[in-house]
Amino acid sequence: MPEVNSPVISTDFHPQPTLATACKKATRKRWACRRMAEALILVAASATANAEGFSPNFSLILDGHYKSADSALSEYDKGFGLGHTELGVSAGIDDLFYGKFTGVVHEHDGKTEFETEEAFIQTLALPGGLSVRAGRFLSDIGYLNGQHAHTDSFVERPAAYRAMLGSHYYDDGVRLSYVMPTDTFWTIGTEAFSGEKMQAADLTDPKSVGVYTAFTKIGGDFNEEHSWQLGLSYLRNDNGANISSHDHEHENHEDHGHEEDEGHNHSHDARFTGKNTYIADAVWKWAPDGNYKYRSLTLTGEYLQTRDLSDTIEANEKNEGFYLSSVYQMTPQWAVGARYGEFKGYEAHGDHFDEKNLQETELMVSWSYSHFSTVRLQYTHQTGDGFENTNNNIVTLQYVMSLGAHDAHTF
Amino acid sequence: MRILSKLLLAFALAFPVSSHGALTVFACEPEWAALSEAIAPEAKVYTATTARQDPHHIQARPGLISKMRKADIVVCSGAELEIGWLPVLQMKSANPKVQTGDKGLFFAADQVETIGKLEKVDPTMGDVHPEGNPHLHLDPYRVEKVTRALAERMAELDPGNRDQYKANAKKFSERWEANIERWEKVAAPLKGKNLVTYHSNFDYLLEWLGVNVVGDLEPKPGLPPSSRHLASLLELSKKTSIDAIIFASYQDKKGADWLSQRAGVPAKELPMTIGGSEQSVDLISLYDDLIQKLLKVTGSPDNS
Repeated sequence: MPEVNSPVISTDFHPQPTLATACKKATRKRWACRRMAEALILVAASATANAEGFSPNFSLILDGHYKSADSALSEYDKGFGLGHTELGVSAGIDDLFYGKFTGVVHEHDGKTEFETEEAFIQTLALPGGLSVRAGRFLSDIGYLNGQHAHTDSFVERPAAYRAMLGSHYYDDGVRLSYVMPTDTFWTIGTEAFSGEKMQAADLTDPKSVGVYTAFTKIGGDFNEEHSWQLGLSYLRNDNGANISSHDHEHENHEDHGHEEDEGHNHSHDARFTGKNTYIADAVWKWAPDGNYKYRSLTLTGEYLQTRDLSDTIEANEKNEGFYLSSVYQMTPQWAVGARYGEFKGYEAHGDHFDEKNLQETELMVSWSYSHFSTVRLQYTHQTGDGFENTNNNIVTLQYVMSLGAHDAHTF
Repeated sequence: MRILSKLLLAFALAFPVSSHGALTVFACEPEWAALSEAIAPEAKVYTATTARQDPHHIQARPGLISKMRKADIVVCSGAELEIGWLPVLQMKSANPKVQTGDKGLFFAADQVETIGKLEKVDPTMGDVHPEGNPHLHLDPYRVEKVTRALAERMAELDPGNRDQYKANAKKFSERWEANIERWEKVAAPLKGKNLVTYHSNFDYLLEWLGVNVVGDLEPKPGLPPSSRHLASLLELSKKTSIDAIIFASYQDKKGADWLSQRAGVPAKELPMTIGGSEQSVDLISLYDDLIQKLLKVTGSPDNS
């Protein structure tokens, strides 16, 4: 029944970015959210009814947790809570294009919020090594940013990611990337984004295309057992530098105060922005005989730095952070991991900066019964200055489970 | 001038252009690399995995992306065996020749009937593939069909060498058929033996040789042997006669050893593919070694 199918997609799915924004302003345009949900159900139903020719991958991620205490820079409150409930639909559209949609449901103060995290198309048939992606997607800067949060080994992203990239930076834009024809893997890419999620808080006249990125990744195998990847990324944010005046300051301070009362940042907007951000990342993976079924070790490290934080305050301060993570899979079902990370950042207040810093140690043990189900216990230790809810001891019990399509994981 | 020519030389060395006509092959598993080499000896063949690696659990590593980037043809088992990593490689390599639906993507399972096809699959069944068992390289008759189809596909991609590919495939098939006859004679004593296996890795081989599978170390496909499940197999060993326990070269031997000791049944590691044992250096010696090991572990007379 393709004739039933196609109109449903084209009419209801076309205005995804607008739908998502509309859903945030839930009271005014609640119908839009309902329509989005209906569209998803319709697509799901019609696709199952129509097996031939059109067979997209459907996946639903269920993610929930119990957290013993509030913590700094966290999306999650103390107590029971839901993480990212994700619905994904993806498929090759035709010979030339691939498309993917990922909708995320957040629960926030008793209100349900829909958000479009991904809605992109990607070329499949450009000449060797070239590809273009357009729409809303995860930026390929850094190592973790391009990956989905549900494949992570820890409950939340490292502190530096939460502060500087809003946990994961996705936005509306376009990417051009090229894989070199070399034996050693080498890719280069560049992206342009609206930059709305990376805007400095008190910007009055933001540019409509605010963020440009450039990245390169190099990687290969030392031998059958050892594999590696190195990356360098640069993010230019024309709307990232803070502009503050004394008039603004009072007003802003109240805003901030309100936000900090909540003790967390539910939106995916980055709180610590600046004009120029640099990221260096390294990954090393090992498995005996290269057989990842039974045992493997993954070491990851990233360093992030943002310079030129303000147009109005003259200072050399820079936001920076790093993390080092080590995850050891002991058996097909059990893994343990440790991660240490730091973040130091500056918030503009009038004519000066306030320093905030956070150090975070995380220990986790996880049990994956099958590919589709993981239960994780994590202990988090935070110290630092300037953040609300910096907490010495937090224990989180989390599950991440997926229904539907088998997930293909990136390196 | 000299500097310029040196620069050009350096550039030519850094980015070698593949020699005229020769195909660049990305083979997911060693058996398909061997078959590709038999059909196209001139081809540049890269093998993504080894017999010591579980092909369900391969990392979509940067090293594999760069190899797929340059491939003219990707040769894999299919039937979702590589579902956890192949799609990532296809997407990340941005190679327009090997995307889904392209001639440059060759799945062996698409060329033959698979066994163990399922009408309905749900995740509670474990790691099962609705398209059937993908480990079809251990049925010699199916391998022969795949050989013909692969030669045909290579000829389509590289018409200049069509005759050579066809001739090589024919040569391979003739040798292969002679071997099938020999194998069936040698392996005759295996008929009716009862084995406990670890995953459905050897189902094609055992079906061909008339060997019965009476139990599986996995409680469900893809799940590791649990102590409860092993205990139930021990119970089974008391009621049914089990001739041997077999597992593949990439599998953990703990479960097999446990059962072997308690049930008093021999356990044996078998090469999953070429390179999985010292003796298995190509497709023919792989089959030779598999049959020899099965004869030995089941205590059958060796007629060869």
